[in-house]
Amino acid sequence: MARNQGSLKLNNPWPKIGWGLVAATMVVTVVLGFGVLSRYQQNAPSLDLWSAICRGLGISADTGPASESEPPLRTATRISWTSSTLDQIAAGDAQHGAFIAMNCTACHGQNGVSASTLIPTLAGMDAAVIYKQLDDYRSGKRLWGVMGAIAQALSAQDSADVAAHFSAQPDGLPQLTGRRVPEAGRSLRESDPAKRLVYAGDPRRGIPPCSACHGPGGYKLGAPALQGQQAAYIERQLGEFAQGIRQNDIFEQMRVIARQLTPEEMHALASFYGKDIGVPKPGSDAWR
Amino acid sequence: MQNSSRLALYHYWVAFAAFLPAVLLGAWQMLMRSPLPAPLDDSNAYYASVTLHGTDMAYVVTTFFAMGFGYAVTATSLGRPMRGVAAAWIGFAICLVGTVMAVVTILSGRATVLYTFYPPLLASAWYYLGVLLLFGGSMVWVALMIYNMAAWKRDNPCRPVPLAMFAITATALVWAWAASGTIIELLGVVIPQALGLTTQINVGLARTLFSVTLHAIVYFWLMPAYIAFYTLVPEAAGGRLYSDTMGRLSFIMLLVFSLPVGMHHLFADPEYGAGLKFLQSFLTFFVTLPTLLTVFSICASLEIAGRARGGRGLLGWIRVLPWQEPMVLAVALSLVMLGLGGFGGLINMSYAMNSMIHNTSWVTAHFHLIFGGAVVIMYFAVAYEMWPRITGRPLRSKSLACWQLWLWFWGILITTIPWHITGLMGQPRRVADFDYSDPFVASMGPLVIISVIGGAILLASAILLIFILARSHFGERRLEAPLRYALAVNPPKVVPASLNGFALWNTIVLVLMLFAYGYPIGQFFILKSNVPAYEVAGPPTVERER
Repeated sequence: MARNQGSLKLNNPWPKIGWGLVAATMVVTVVLGFGVLSRYQQNAPSLDLWSAICRGLGISADTGPASESEPPLRTATRISWTSSTLDQIAAGDAQHGAFIAMNCTACHGQNGVSASTLIPTLAGMDAAVIYKQLDDYRSGKRLWGVMGAIAQALSAQDSADVAAHFSAQPDGLPQLTGRRVPEAGRSLRESDPAKRLVYAGDPRRGIPPCSACHGPGGYKLGAPALQGQQAAYIERQLGEFAQGIRQNDIFEQMRVIARQLTPEEMHALASFYGKDIGVPKPGSDAWR
Repeated sequence: MQNSSRLALYHYWVAFAAFLPAVLLGAWQMLMRSPLPAPLDDSNAYYASVTLHGTDMAYVVTTFFAMGFGYAVTATSLGRPMRGVAAAWIGFAICLVGTVMAVVTILSGRATVLYTFYPPLLASAWYYLGVLLLFGGSMVWVALMIYNMAAWKRDNPCRPVPLAMFAITATALVWAWAASGTIIELLGVVIPQALGLTTQINVGLARTLFSVTLHAIVYFWLMPAYIAFYTLVPEAAGGRLYSDTMGRLSFIMLLVFSLPVGMHHLFADPEYGAGLKFLQSFLTFFVTLPTLLTVFSICASLEIAGRARGGRGLLGWIRVLPWQEPMVLAVALSLVMLGLGGFGGLINMSYAMNSMIHNTSWVTAHFHLIFGGAVVIMYFAVAYEMWPRITGRPLRSKSLACWQLWLWFWGILITTIPWHITGLMGQPRRVADFDYSDPFVASMGPLVIISVIGGAILLASAILLIFILARSHFGERRLEAPLRYALAVNPPKVVPASLNGFALWNTIVLVLMLFAYGYPIGQFFILKSNVPAYEVAGPPTVERER
C-alpha cells in the first residue's frame, strides 16, 4: 500500500531529503554566483563582497560620473519616435495643412507632385517622414537654405498639419501598406545589381536591403517610400549622405550605407526607384 | 476500446496532419539558406515560414500529441473509463480554434515574429490570441490529468498510482508551470500592446517570462517519449522495467529541474547580472540527472529483455532483441540522438561556452537532434503502438514502419551534423540569405547542401509515416491485444507518499521558481525599460493611429 503520511511534513524522510538538497543547492549557487564569480574582473581589481553581489544582480557598482571630460554630444536629429511624437503627428489637421501647403507649390508642384527632378515629390509621403524633415530643417540638422528658412516659420503643430496634408495627396508616392511584392529573384542570387541591392543588400559590405526600410515590401517608421520619387533627387541625397553633407539620419544608418556605394550604384539605385531616367542594362559601360 | 480512444485518435490526427506541412516548410527553408536555387525565393516568405514551422512543431504538434497520449494513458493505465470526456472535447475544440487562428494569421503575413514572439516585434493580435487559446485549451487537459489521478487515488487508497499515470500527470504539471510564463507574457505584456491598449512594450519582462516556458516546454515535449521508454519499451522488447522507483524519481526530477533554468536561453541578454545567469546555468546542469538515470534504466530493461530471450555474453543480449518491433528500434535510435544532442546541450547551457555558439546553427542543430530526433521518433513509435489499439485495425507492415524510422534517423543526422559544424564556423540561425560569393561563407556551402539532402530525407520519411498510418486506418478490422504497460522487475507494492503524489514537489518547484525568477522578474517593476513596439508587416504606427 501507499504509505499515507503527509508528504509535506518535514519529519518524513523524503521531504527532509528533498528540502535539504534544495537548500544546499541554493547556498552553493548563491555563493558561487554572487560571492565568487562576480568578484573577479578581467583587467581590473577584484571587487569587495558587497559590490560583487550588486554586480551579480546586474546593479552596476560604478554609477558615478566618468572622470574624463566627454566631447560635446552631437545628435543627428531632435526627433525620436516616442508616443508623444507619434501622437502629435497623428493629430495633424490636414485642412490647416492645405492652407500652409500653398507656400510649397512653387517648388514641390501642385498637390506635392514635383515637376523638377531635383525636388522631391511630397504627395503620399508618410506624415512622420515629412514631420521629421521639417523639424530637422528647423533645428539646422539638415541644411538647405530655402527649406531652413521656411521650416523656421512653422511651428511643430504646423509641421504636423502640413505633413497630414501631403501624406493624404494622391498620385505621388505609394501608400505605406507593408504589402508584399511577389517578385521572383529577391535574393543575393539576383543578377541585376540594383535589384540585388534593393532586395537583398550586400552583407559583405554591411549593406542591408534598401527595400527593408524604403519599400517595396517593408517600411520602417521615419524612412520615406522611394518608389516614384525623383531619381535625380535620390541620387543627390545618396551623394550627400556619402560625403557627410547630409547628417540627419538617426544612428548614421544612411551615411554608413551610402559611403559604401559606388557612384554607378547610386545612379542605378536612383534609376530603380525613380522615374524619367533610363535604367542602364547590367553589363553595359555605365555599370562595370 | 476505452472511452478515450476516439479522443486520443482525433488528437493524434491533428498532430500528424500539422506535422507533415511543417516538415515540408522545414525542407524548403533549408533550400532557401543553401546556395541552391529555391522556389519562391523571398526572404519575407522565409521568415513567415520559420514562424509557421516553429509554431506548428513547437506548439501544435506537441501539444496535441501529448494531450492525445495523456487521454490514452489515463484510460489504459488506470484500467477504468476516463472521467471528464466532455470537458476534454471542449479543450480539443478550443485548441483547434486557437491553432486555426494562429496559422491563418501567419499565412496572411501579419505574424512574422517567429514562434518565440521576439518583442518588440509585434504581430497581429489574432496570432497571440490563437496561441493563447491553444495554451488555454491545453490547460483543460492538465486539469483532467490531475483530476483523474486524484480521483483514482481517492478510490484506491492502498495502491500506488501506475507509473504511466504518475508520469503523464508529471508531464501535465510541467506543462502547467511552463505555460504559465507565456500565458502571463501574452496576457500581461504582448496582447495589451497588440490591441493598442499600451503605447510601449517591456521587452525584458516579456523575454524573461517567455524564458520560463522556453526550457520547460522542451521537457513537456520530451516526457511523452520518456513515458514510452519506461512503460512501453520493456513490454515491446519482451522484458520488464528495471526499476519502478527510478522511473518515478526521474519524472519527479524532470518536474523539479526543468523549470527554474530557462534563463540559459538569455545568456546574451543585457537585462540581468552575471550572478543570476550563473545561478540558472548551474541549476540547468541538474537536468542531466533524470536523463542519465533514464538512459541507465532503459538500457538495463533492454538487457533484461535480451537475456530473457537467450542472449549471452557481455553484449550478446543486444543482438537478440526484437529489432523488427518499431518500438524497440525507435528507442535505440532515440537514445543515440539523445546522447549526441545531450552533449551539445551541455555546451549550450554552460555560461561561458554558450557565447561560442549563441544564436548559431549549432543551437538549431541541438534542438532538432533532441526534439526532431530523439523525441519525435518516439512519437512515431507510440503512434505505431497505439494506432492498432485505437482503430482496431492492425499496423500494415511493421517493416515499412521500421524503414520509416531508419529514414528519419539518418535524415536527422545528415541534417544536423552539418549544422553543428557551420554553427561553430559562426553561421547565424534564422537568416534567409547568405552571400555565397564571399569566400568564407562559400566554405559553408557544401555543408549546407548536405543538410538540404537531410531535409529531403526527412520529408520522405514524414510522407511515409502518414502513408503507413492512413493505410492502417483504412485497413481491415481485426482484434488486437489491448495496450499493456511494462511490469517492473519488482512491481511496487508500497510507495512512499512523496513518490505517489506531487504535493511536496510542487512546493519545491514554487520555492525554486521564486529563487530563480523572483528577482529577474521583479526588477522590471522598478526599472523602466519600455520601448515602442515594431509592428510586423502591418501599416506603420502613425497610419494605424490616424
